[in-house]
Formats: sequence, structure tokens, C-alpha cells
Amino acid sequence: MQQEVVLAMLAKEPTHGYELRARLRQALGPVGEELNAGQVYVTLARLEKAGLVVSAAAPGVSERPDRKVYELTADGQQRVAAWLAEVDWPRPDLAEFHLKLIAAFAARLADPLAIVDAQRRELLRRLRDAQRAALAEADTSDAALLLEGIVLRLQADLRWLEACERTWTNRRSRS
Amino acid sequence: MGRLLLIWRLALRDLRHRPVQAVLLLLAITAATSTLTLGLALNGVTSGPYLRTAAATNGPDVAASVLPSGPNGTQAPDLAALAPLASAAGVTAASGPFPVAFATLRAHGHAVPVQAQGRDLAPAAVDQPLVTAGTWVQAGGVVLERTFAQALGVTVGGTVTLDSRPFRVVGLAVTAAVPEYPGVCYYMTCNSPTGQAEESGMGLVWLTAASARGLATSASPLSYVLNLRLRDPATAAAFAAAHGPAGLTGPQSASGLGLLTRQEVQYADNDLVSVAQQVLAPGSWIAIALAVASVAVLAGGRMAEQTRRVGRLKAAGGSPSLIAAILLAEHLVIAMVAAAAGLGIGWLVAPALSSGGTGLIGSPGVPALAPGAVGLVVAVALGVTLAATLVPVVRAARTSTVRALADSARPPRRRVLLVAVSAWLPAPLLIGARLVARRQRRAVLTAASTAITVMGVVAVMAAHRATDIATARFNWFAGLPDPVFGRVSQVMAVLTVVLVALSAVNVIITGWATAVDARQPSALTRALGGTRGQVSAGLSLAQVLPALPGAVAGLPLGVLLFAAANGTGQVLVPPASWLAVLLLGTLAAVAALTFIPSLLTARTAVAPLLRAETT
Amino acid sequence: MTLLCARGLRKTYGRGDALVRAVDEVSLDVEAGETVAIMGPSGCGKSTLLHLLGGLDHPDAGTVVLAGRHVDQLGERGLARMRRDAVGFVFQAFHLMDELTAVENVELPALLAGRSPRAARRRAVALLSQTGLADRANFLPSALSGGQRQRVAVARALVNDPVIVLADEPTGNLDSAATLEVLRLFDDLHQGGQTLVIVTHDSRIAATADRLITMRDGAFIDETRLDGGTAGSLARLAGLDG
Repeated sequence: MQQEVVLAMLAKEPTHGYELRARLRQALGPVGEELNAGQVYVTLARLEKAGLVVSAAAPGVSERPDRKVYELTADGQQRVAAWLAEVDWPRPDLAEFHLKLIAAFAARLADPLAIVDAQRRELLRRLRDAQRAALAEADTSDAALLLEGIVLRLQADLRWLEACERTWTNRRSRS
Repeated sequence: MGRLLLIWRLALRDLRHRPVQAVLLLLAITAATSTLTLGLALNGVTSGPYLRTAAATNGPDVAASVLPSGPNGTQAPDLAALAPLASAAGVTAASGPFPVAFATLRAHGHAVPVQAQGRDLAPAAVDQPLVTAGTWVQAGGVVLERTFAQALGVTVGGTVTLDSRPFRVVGLAVTAAVPEYPGVCYYMTCNSPTGQAEESGMGLVWLTAASARGLATSASPLSYVLNLRLRDPATAAAFAAAHGPAGLTGPQSASGLGLLTRQEVQYADNDLVSVAQQVLAPGSWIAIALAVASVAVLAGGRMAEQTRRVGRLKAAGGSPSLIAAILLAEHLVIAMVAAAAGLGIGWLVAPALSSGGTGLIGSPGVPALAPGAVGLVVAVALGVTLAATLVPVVRAARTSTVRALADSARPPRRRVLLVAVSAWLPAPLLIGARLVARRQRRAVLTAASTAITVMGVVAVMAAHRATDIATARFNWFAGLPDPVFGRVSQVMAVLTVVLVALSAVNVIITGWATAVDARQPSALTRALGGTRGQVSAGLSLAQVLPALPGAVAGLPLGVLLFAAANGTGQVLVPPASWLAVLLLGTLAAVAALTFIPSLLTARTAVAPLLRAETT
Repeated sequence: MTLLCARGLRKTYGRGDALVRAVDEVSLDVEAGETVAIMGPSGCGKSTLLHLLGGLDHPDAGTVVLAGRHVDQLGERGLARMRRDAVGFVFQAFHLMDELTAVENVELPALLAGRSPRAARRRAVALLSQTGLADRANFLPSALSGGQRQRVAVARALVNDPVIVLADEPTGNLDSAATLEVLRLFDDLHQGGQTLVIVTHDSRIAATADRLITMRDGAFIDETRLDGGTAGSLARLAGLDG
């Protein structure tokens, strides 16, 4: 769980632990269901150790993390502001697959086309799951937007796999 | 120079790219120009024939005749009355006096009263009739006036009898001294052997003087005619008033003298041909209206594509003047070819109409087209094509390039009622009605064209009926067909053929435009389950449906046209059976002209049609 | 039950050097209630194949049996009847009549089939509400968005209760939001037991099909059923590292 995400969710006002988790669940929809429940609190503890967040337990309430109230420090707020202004995009992962195909072909360990096909089928299955989940959501939910993003990224990857298939077919027929 | 070449190349490329459209446009404009040429040629023929004949025959300015006088017209005329005229003041030349006998000519089962003039072999100084076939008078031979001969059905080499005496027909001739058959007695300066003035139907023949004298009897003595040329032809009326009896059309004066001026003969001749002109004038307008309608449909059909083309040229950097030049060059080619073709066709067809039936010099061989007429035809061809070009150019010049490029054909309009009603009709009518709803202006044009055609044909029918009635009622011409009406009938027949041909061209063009326009919806309808036959029937009905009210409206309009066009304001309704046949025939023709081609050209596979995008 | 059975279909265009094998010895079986997706690069002949299956074009060789009828042997009338009753077509360019409202567009095949105008109208209205366009029934296509237009086209394809719906790149002209609308519609149809054959290069649609066939240069090169679970979770796909 990205630390900055949790920080940002505290930016508006001090929040209870369980409230924070509920907000995250709502924003992620089915995607968030697979999240480990305790992951959020682990992140909060790390943030506290780094001095970006302070927690306080309500008087007369136990020290369980979900009942504590968390709040941003000045450092935390600065961090949030800086993070919001960042434009760095998540890192793509293409080089690994590309090299996998080349290595398989060079060492004659496997047929690159078979690898591409297998990967393509896997991605299609994931696309199917993501699409089904998207269809089940109401159009206006936040989760729907997230699922659309997943779908579109998978589509882009599949297009690249189709290009890989075309290129490797030609390469094989030439050799 | 390079620019001109570019313009030329682009223009020709476009013509080659769409040959069908170019050919159809050519057809429509040629129809207009040939009709115009025909009309002008015939007009030229019918308006000045007297003058041509008078010039060719040395026609007289005044023809003086003395007829037998006395109670039964049996007293020989007084030649002395003619003598002083030849030397009267203002007379420059004279011929005659020639003897004239009245006889009965029999030929081909007809018996017709005729004037037989006795002439010398040597040409006369004034009024030497022009021989158009055969030779001049010979012993034992007779020369007939041309129109009279045609009405009789007599040709050179045949035999006729005059008062039971046989004569060989040696020639046919025309003259300007006497109004042509059947107007010989237009001014009642005739006399018959029985003493009653023949109103009309008298023929004119020429014999040798000896033969003419031989025909005279005690009951029917000779008359004499003297032809005079004046120094100033305009004074002929004054001359006639000074030397002749008071009142020309009254019965013969005491001396039996009668004077006939050239102006009066001209008037009589023109009166006879003006009937033909009365028919020709409205007929030509109708024909031109039809031709213009065809061009309008074509221009409208090309509009969208032209607009897009202009947009593309603009996007490629063409200035408005360059674009106009390209479009103009393209249409210039079509216009010039159409003008030339129209002139040629009119030139060739006109003699067939004008030579038959005119006793006056109409057109021996080739009619002379005045340079003015040629110029008019070319101007009309140019004008029509310019109109077809100008509109898209102006439109494109006004819209922005982007809009012009995106501009597909005019989006079809929506007629709620028609769409709702058509749901209840069987499939072909459903398709046809909705196609009509898509392009209403074209439907209106179709209705108008059909109305115009039917109107013209009905007017012709009414005229035919009128002549039938007149002929049946007044058997004036001793059983011979009235050549005036004959000529008129000929003109009307030609007009009908032209109208029908133009109308057919119009239907074909509109049908083609509709089919092209309806390619997408037709393909879609077939993809949704319509059969090829249903779609073709729908396309055909899209023309028949607007044609129906047009044809029905044309019926009363035609009756009105005839009433307005004929001088007497007579209202005549052709027989109901004729009208019914015309109505059904028109609709059947429209259906056939559109259904058969669309069925033949409909491809079996629907997919290729749908693959073409709408742009 | 096999609804559609095609064997050895062939369709070529051009001659000599310009010969194009649009469809090259293709055989296909479609069961009732199945959704089959055919994917491939543009120009691989998938649209041509669909036209052959639906009777919009004649194959040069091969047979097509649809609902027990030999499509390739049908004459013009028979094909028209088949297009009316047995097959519903959805096109990439929608191909709606511009001058008719949505409901008039939908009822058109029923009118062509000879149904009474009232019955046709009723069915059209019902279908439009099924596709969620009841309030747009009297709108002209120019007043509808791309996704709405395609949904009208789908409703039109269904008006005569076809045994099979053939869709040719149904989302080709649509943006991703409109694609979702149409996807949802196809999903509903699939749940309702409608047999669908969809030609598409949109992997989203292909992923939700029962069978996915890949086509290239006129021939089928791959056929998969996307059964089984996935190795990854949605969370990982979203960038959440669990």
C-alpha cells in the first residue's frame, strides 16, 4: 500500500482507523477485496515511525489500531502536497517479457510463439475477469473508473502481444 | 500556360471518371438545343416564305384580272379594261394578259375545280412560276401548283383530265401571284363555271396558252390576268384603289376588273402558315421546359459531389477562380458538344417537316439557319450548363472548406405523415413512398414534368379532334385533305414525338438520379430482408407515385392549353378513351423505364454495396 | 444443438497478381446460446466471413447450414426471407436510416416481413425499453450518441426474433464509454440465451465470449475457450502490491 495514498486520505481531517479502511474499500471496490485487512494499519505504523503521522487513542478506548485516530503532521502535509504534484507514472514491465522471448528463441528452449500465445490467453482471462467485474458495477461508482483503467491497460498489453506474434511469426518463417 | 493545362487535365479527368453523368447531361442539353434549333428552323421557314417565293419568281406587286361578267358569268370579259394598266404611272414591268380558263380536274378519283392559266414557253417578265419538279408548260402537258399536287397525290409523269381532256403532268411549280392552295380564292376573285363563287378548294394549274383557250366554252368563257411590277411596291394598295373597283372583296365591278396587291397575297399566305406557328410556339416552350427540368435534376444530383470536389480543390490550395475555371472547362466541353449535336439534329430533321406541304419555297434541301439562330442555340446551351455549374461553385465559395469537405448529399428530409402512412402499405409501396419522402423536390419535378408532357399530348389530341370534326363538318376541299390542317397535323405529330422523347429522357435521368441516391438505403433494405424485386419495384414506384398526380393534372391543363392556343378559344375535350389510354400509358411507361433497368442492374450480393461508406 | 454449420467456405477477389483470398477454406460450428468472437487484424477477411454466414454475399465454394437451411443454395427470395427471419445483422457503421426515428428504424424489418404495423410497433417499443432506450424512441439518429445508435441497431436486429445475431465490428466506431454500453447489452443477450457471432478487434468483447477464434489472411489460426482462473489478482493489475 503506497504510503502517500494513506497520507493523502488523512489530509482532509483526522480519521479513525476503521473509517480509513472503509474509505479505501469503497474507492477500490472489488479490487480492494483482495487486500489484506491489516495492510493499512501496517502502513500507518510505518508512517508514524517516520514522523509523518501521529495517532491518538480516544480516552477510555483500547489501543487497537482501528480505533485510534490518525492525523497528519506538518511534514506529512508537505509530503502529500509534493506527491499530488508529482507526474511520475507507474513503471511498465515490458523488457522482461521481450527478453524472455529472445532468450527462448536463441537457446531453442521454447517456441516464442507458444510463449506469446500462452501469455495472451492469460491476459485475456484477466481481461475477462476485469470486464465482468466492470459490468457488475454501477456506472457511477469510483470502482468502475478503476476497473476501466485496468481493462484499458490490459487491452494495450494485448495489442503489444499481437504485434509480438506477428513479428515472431515472420521471424520464424524467415529463418 | 501550365495552369491552363492543369485545368484542362483536371476537367477531362473528371469527365472520364464519371462518364454516365456526363453522357446524361449531354443528352438533356442536346434535347433542349435540338428542340430549339428545330423550332427556329421551322419558324424561319414559316415566316418569310412569301418573300422568298416572290423574289425567286419575280412576283407581281399587283395582279389585275378581268372575269366574265353578266348575269351567269357567261359574257366574255372586256380586255380593254386591262390595257391601260400596263402603261399606268408607276408601273415598271408587266406580263400578260394571260388567258385563264375554269375547268374541272379529275385525278385519283377526285373532281376538283381549277383555274388553268395559259402561259408561253418563254419566261414572263413578271411572275414566272418557279418549277420545283419536272419542266414548264408543254403542248399536251400541265403544270400543277405544288401544294395542290401534294394534296391530290399527283406527281410528275402522272395523268389528269381537265374537262375530260387528258393532260400529262409535266411539272410542279410555285408562285407568289396567287395565295397557295387552298387559298386560291381567299379573296373571292374566283368564279366557277356554274357562276357561283367557290369559297375555297380551287386549285391552280398552268397550261400552254393554246390549251387554255381550248378549255373555254360558251358557258364558261376565258378570264384574263395581267401581272404588274411597280417602282415602289409599297404603293400597291394606293395603285389598286386608284385603278380598281371600289372594294376588292365585293362582287365583280361592272367591268369585271379586280386588282390584288402583293401585301394581300402575303397576308393570305401567312395566315395559312400562322396556324402551324400557333402550335409550334407553345410546343417549343413545353419541350424546352422539359429539357430544363432534366438538367435541373441532373444538376441537383451532382450538387453534393461537386460541393465536395470544390472543397477538396480548396483544401489543396486552389483559388476560387481556379476552381470555377475547372468546373467551367468541364461543362464547356459538354455544352459545346451538346450545341453542335443539337444544331446538327435540328438541321437534319427540319427539312422533313417543312418541305412537305408548303407550296412556298420552304426549304429545298437544307434550311438556311440564320447566324442569329445558331448564336441563340449556342447561348442557350452555355446558359443552361452555366446554371448547372454556377450554383455549386457559389455554394462552395460561400461555405468553409471544412464544411464543404464534410458535406455529404443534402440530408433527407422527414415527412412524418408519409412515414406513418407508409407503414400500412405493402413492402414495395412502403419502400417507394419513403424514397419519395427523402427527396421531395425531385418528386415535385417529376410530377411537373409528367404534367407538362401529358398537357402537351392532350393539347395535341384536342387539336386532332378539332381537325377531325372540322374536316367531317366542312367538306370544303372536294374530299381532299386540307393541306393546312395536314401541315399542322404533321407539326403536331413531330411535337408529340419530341415531347415523348424528352419526357422519356427526363424519366430516365430522374430514375438514374434516384437509384444513385438510394443506393445505400436500398442495400440496407435488402440486408434487412427486402428482396431485389421489392426494392426495384420501390425505386420504380418512387417515380410513378409523383407521376400519377402530375399526369392527372396534365389532362385538364392540356384542354386549357388547347383552348388558349387556338385562335377561336374553342374548348374541346378529347374522347375519354384516348385520355384513359394516355394516362395509363404514361404511368406504365414511367414504371417500365425505371423498373426494368433497376432490376437489371441490381447486383445479387448486398455486401459490397454496404461496404461503401456514405461519404 | 448446432445452429450454424459452415464447411469449406471460400471467397476470393481479383485475379492473377491481384488475387485476394478473403476467406480461405473456413469451417465453423456454432451451438445454440453460444457467443463466438472472431478476432484478427484488419483486412483478414472476418467481415467477409460474416457476410457469407448471414447470406449477404455468395461464397465461391463451401456450404452454410443455418437453422437447418442451406444458405448457399437459397435463391434471392429465400435469402431475403432468411435475412428477415433467421438472421439479425449489426454493422460497424450502424446503418440506420437518417430520416426515421429510433422506433421507426427498429420496426422496419418487421414491416418488411409483413407483420401488421401495430404488432411491429409494439415489438419495437418493447425492444427499445429492453435496451434502455425507451425515452429516446422518437429521436432521430442524429440526436443520439454513437452508443445509443448502435443499441438501436441491435434492437433492430432482434425485432424478428432471429435465431442468430451476427455483429460486424459493433464497437468499431464507438469510444470506450459507448463500448461499455454495447458490451452490457451483448452480455444481457447472452444471459438471455441469444446466439451471437461477433467479429471484432476489440479484445474486451472477445474476452467475454464463450469461444474466441483468431483469424489471419482468411483462415482460422487459433481457437480458445477462456476457461479457468487467472494467475494474478485484480489488485496486482491495479498496482496494489497486496
